Amino acid sequence: MVNSNANALGIIFPNSYDSLVPELVGERLMASIPFASRYRMVDFILSSMVNSGIDNISIIVRKNYHSLMDHLGSGREWDLTRKNGGLNIVPPFAEKTVKVYNGRVEALASILDFLKGQKEKYVVMSDTNIAVNFDFKAMLDAHIASGADITVAYAKEEIADCFKKEYGIKKDLYYTLSIEDGRVNEIQINSKADGVQNCSMNIYIMEREQLIENISDAFVRGYVYFERDILAPQLDKFNVQAYEFTGYLARINDMKSYFDENMKLLNDENLDNLFSGNPVYTKIRDDNPTRYISGAKAKNIMAADGCVIEGEVENSILFRGVKIAKGAKVKNCVLMQDTVVEEGACVENIISDKKVTISAGQSVAGSDTFPVYIPKYKTV
Amino acid sequence: MAKEMIAMLLAGGQGSRLYALTQKLAKPAVPFGGKYRIIDFPLSNCVNSGIDTVGILTQYQPLVLNEYIGNGQPWDLDRLHGGVHVLPPYQQASGSDWYKGTANAIYQNISFIERYNPQYVIILSGDQICKQDYSDFLRFHKEKGAEFSVAVMEVPWDEASRFGLMVADENDKITEFQEKPKNPKSNLASMGIYIFNWDILKKYLVEDEADPNSENDFGNNIIPNLLRDGRKMYAYHFDGYWKDVGTISSLWEANMEVLDPEHSGINLFDENWKIYSRNSGKTGHKISANAVVENSMITDGCRIDGEVKHSILFAGVRVEAGAKVEDAVVMGGTVIKAGAVVQHCIVAENVVIGENAVVGAMPTESEKGVATIGSGIYIGDNAKIGPNAMVRNNVKGGEEQW
Repeated sequence: MVNSNANALGIIFPNSYDSLVPELVGERLMASIPFASRYRMVDFILSSMVNSGIDNISIIVRKNYHSLMDHLGSGREWDLTRKNGGLNIVPPFAEKTVKVYNGRVEALASILDFLKGQKEKYVVMSDTNIAVNFDFKAMLDAHIASGADITVAYAKEEIADCFKKEYGIKKDLYYTLSIEDGRVNEIQINSKADGVQNCSMNIYIMEREQLIENISDAFVRGYVYFERDILAPQLDKFNVQAYEFTGYLARINDMKSYFDENMKLLNDENLDNLFSGNPVYTKIRDDNPTRYISGAKAKNIMAADGCVIEGEVENSILFRGVKIAKGAKVKNCVLMQDTVVEEGACVENIISDKKVTISAGQSVAGSDTFPVYIPKYKTV
Repeated sequence: MAKEMIAMLLAGGQGSRLYALTQKLAKPAVPFGGKYRIIDFPLSNCVNSGIDTVGILTQYQPLVLNEYIGNGQPWDLDRLHGGVHVLPPYQQASGSDWYKGTANAIYQNISFIERYNPQYVIILSGDQICKQDYSDFLRFHKEKGAEFSVAVMEVPWDEASRFGLMVADENDKITEFQEKPKNPKSNLASMGIYIFNWDILKKYLVEDEADPNSENDFGNNIIPNLLRDGRKMYAYHFDGYWKDVGTISSLWEANMEVLDPEHSGINLFDENWKIYSRNSGKTGHKISANAVVENSMITDGCRIDGEVKHSILFAGVRVEAGAKVEDAVVMGGTVIKAGAVVQHCIVAENVVIGENAVVGAMPTESEKGVATIGSGIYIGDNAKIGPNAMVRNNVKGGEEQW
């Protein structure tokens, strides 16, 4: 294998942490949530894998995956239309009863035969709730050099507020790590500790053969979660090394963090940190450039191609094809694809989903701590 | 499997009147309208008209063009049977030849066309900005029972003598052809877009090649020969937007017209007739809190901290704080540093304009020049570039060029 290729295959879990943003995943999943004016969350991990020389990538979908299928197509934009490997979207498998997986163990068990037939030595696994420009090649090199059984990526962060609060039923678990000399000696589940913690990014590298063995074993025992049921109880048996990620990291934990992480990109430094590494690929829409018509006023915004701006817009993120008509005012908003703000309408602190229309003269305002969300296709 | 009609796109032009812009690339590869290249227009027209087989005849500086076309995927022209093919001159058993003229370029590729066994061949030009439905043109050609049709535009009578003119009767049948005549008998200018019945085209190409005195050119040789023989020739009236962007001023003008689709008629925001292009893949553009953007088009990857008025910025252009850009066409990757003033000009790709440099000037009564800066040029701090300058070499800080 040529040096620029990684001897690893990628596995992506696009539904992880869906439960954190129920509004946004009403008709989609975490991986297809629009982010940063022209991307979807999956673009970041997928592009990072491709840029790291991983060109055999499986995405194990669970539910609500039509939008993701539409976005990824044959994988051409990510250079994943390959004869060998390429992009492999694995839908739930219809057995006697259609079974939808709950945890990673079940998800991986559903592709065991596929995994057995592959040639790559290593497996790289990731969720899609984080936007990063991640160098998997460097992590793989570190994994090989350390002689670890498993390497897990983490970032030093505070645990997000939404995880600390007790309300509601959250199905998705999160993990923090205790690390000694680079080795993970304890995995805390749903910790509520204050201050900066070693928060797992749920990115794992291990040998394919070992993963097959672990999953086969765990599946027959009825285990569900890879971290809780396989890793955590066996840290003395497995050498689990921690790999610190120090780059720019945007994590979607709830509606508020979705809003904030978009807004943070209005800062040039943040934008450069997220995008200055390797390119992030996404589906091409063939929009024309954005047009600012006389009378338009734009201050501190990020906008993708295809917008037509005739009104005023300030401190906002505009996705592709947003229209802001004459006399309309937009302030502190995240407007997803093809949102239309009609003449004289006024919006502040809102998140509008795809193809929302704010009718002429209407005004909608949220507060900066609680942005108002307007669902897909709705007209205000 | 035979194709009803395939397209042959003449893209070999050097575009010498675009000077600094075509030093390193062929005219059809010249960037246009924020995220396109000129050739995107005929290619997108083909696909939108249902033509899925296009031969692109290249000759001059083909590197950028070849890379840009690639496998044709951005235009949906990566096809199992057909698709887009770049056709440079090649060596044959009998020796090799550059394309001697437009007709000779097609002649040398007769075997390419025959692979698809088409009934009709449409000849396109790679240096025009035009949104045109070629299927309507073909419908006309078939209805008239024509052997040759040419798309024509009505031009003002006082400008007619600059064009190749078709004189046609009330049934659109062509009776005479005048190449840039002093006394025009018609105001129907040829757009250089032809539909031929393939058998007729082939016959005339072979004949033309055998004529040692021929210039092997469609306008000068093939069309006059068709007329001589009384072939069934018709003029198809096109009244949409059409612009030959062969000169700096017409290229600048056409770009500016994109900013005013309501009046100019070149609407790039047409969902039903999209113009496709190879994407820059850059992130959304950013306009900072202190920037001013008025009546402009801004493409992905731009960062605007200064002032941009009535201009077109291509992908990844940076305008630093205090810089002013007005009436300008600024191509991809160019950086305009703090305090620079860039007006009424075309700046090609990956140019750096130094701090407080001045490029071009707003037009006056006597001076309407469009300053032009070639790709990859470095303009030093405080340099001054006059409105008629054509910059092909780096300009050091503080120097002037007129």
